Amino acid sequence: MMEQERFEELAAMNALGMLENDEKRALDGAVARDKELRSLTLELEQTTAELAYLIEPVEPPANMKKRIRAKMRANGLKGAGVSRGVVIGVTGWALAACFAVASVWLWREQAGLTQQLAAASRAIAPVNPTTPVVDDGKTRTLEEELKKRRDEFEAQKLALVKEIESLHKSEADVKTQNAKLTAEVAALKQQEQESKLQVATLQSKVWEYRRSEMLVVWDEKRSQGVVMLDKMPKVDSDKDYQLWVVDPNKPDPVSAGVVTVDAKGSVKASFKPVDAVTGEAKFALSVEKKGGVPKSEGQLLMVGP
Amino acid sequence: MSQPELSEEDLLQRAGRGDSRAFDQLYDRMAPRLFGLLRQMLHDEREAEDVLQDGFVLLWERAATFDSERSKAFTWAVMLFRHRAIDRMRMLGRRNRLVDSAILEQTTLMASAHAGVDDEVQANERGVVVREALNELPKDQRQLIEFAFLKGLTHHVIAESLSMPLGTVKTNIRRGLLRLRDLLKGGA
Repeated sequence: MMEQERFEELAAMNALGMLENDEKRALDGAVARDKELRSLTLELEQTTAELAYLIEPVEPPANMKKRIRAKMRANGLKGAGVSRGVVIGVTGWALAACFAVASVWLWREQAGLTQQLAAASRAIAPVNPTTPVVDDGKTRTLEEELKKRRDEFEAQKLALVKEIESLHKSEADVKTQNAKLTAEVAALKQQEQESKLQVATLQSKVWEYRRSEMLVVWDEKRSQGVVMLDKMPKVDSDKDYQLWVVDPNKPDPVSAGVVTVDAKGSVKASFKPVDAVTGEAKFALSVEKKGGVPKSEGQLLMVGP
Repeated sequence: MSQPELSEEDLLQRAGRGDSRAFDQLYDRMAPRLFGLLRQMLHDEREAEDVLQDGFVLLWERAATFDSERSKAFTWAVMLFRHRAIDRMRMLGRRNRLVDSAILEQTTLMASAHAGVDDEVQANERGVVVREALNELPKDQRQLIEFAFLKGLTHHVIAESLSMPLGTVKTNIRRGLLRLRDLLKGGA
């Protein structure tokens, strides 16, 4: 495939969000060097985005705007937590309060003047009383506006409180999880420090055991291990296989116990030598009397590593 | 006196300058379609709500970088929200598997599923243009593009989900999208 087609392909898949991370990196690198490819990538992204015109609209939850504003404030976004809307809101409160006070004062003044005027008018002639309907109307609208703002503020406050509660809970969950992970890491580190593993395969020069397999995983620090045997010939009913650990600091091999294989000649068993092993261990297997012996009497069939 | 209605580009630019009222209006205009997109991509109402919320916070943060000469406000927003949704899918480990059992034929945009039915699209001039352009594509290419657009999966998963050779997926996507671009530009 031509190089151009390959990058067109990457750009197309990128527009649809189909690329794996390494492919995305390759495209980004090429885009940084190639202006035409950069332009193609953007064009295809926009082409893809236009498909959203065909999406059936779905109304988001009614409180979504409040959630967005709460999140903005929680993120400390400039212009959001104290966004212009809110600043205007606060200013609006102050203006509304001043206006309310002024309206009430004017209304009282007017009422007083009206009373004086009415009294004066009554003194001279019957007149139509001046009513404060318009002012009453304004005051009522203002009260409603103030109440609406207060309700909105309360709703925002409630949303924030809920969000804070949710964040506290998330934080607590994360802390718990973190503590758990830290403990696990510490345990693993401890385990790693405490163990020094050695893997050894044992082989035999005895003809009957040429196909037999034996693997030992030995933890030197803990002085214990696991042995795996396979394709082992069957032993007489009064005999057992016995595992030995050869310690260079000891004159004789140290018994690691009897190993009983199944009908297929296989077994996996953990073992721990009867005496501590201090040197670099080797392993051996022999056939001994049923139940095992403290000191090897039979032939060492398999030795390793 | 009534004010002429501002375009989405104007609103986005105003939001970029910190105008929260413009941001509110932009939300009113764009949120339903974006929410519809997120629901289809994420198959989870709650996740879609969270991404919508995060997306609009991000939109507010990045509105100042919007360049009306390079893209439309709506497509700019769609790119932002789709990236966000794909990030969420990646976080949830959903990028590498098909969440639902939807097959290719069932995963289509309104272009074929509701053609001529929905007033919303009829009212949306650009929607009509896009639908017509999409219908110009061969069926295989159109379905693959719609599937990829709505699922947000990697090409390997798409190929596997549709039992289609990877090469065929890539070729159809490339050819289809290039053709769609030309058609939307007004080309034949």
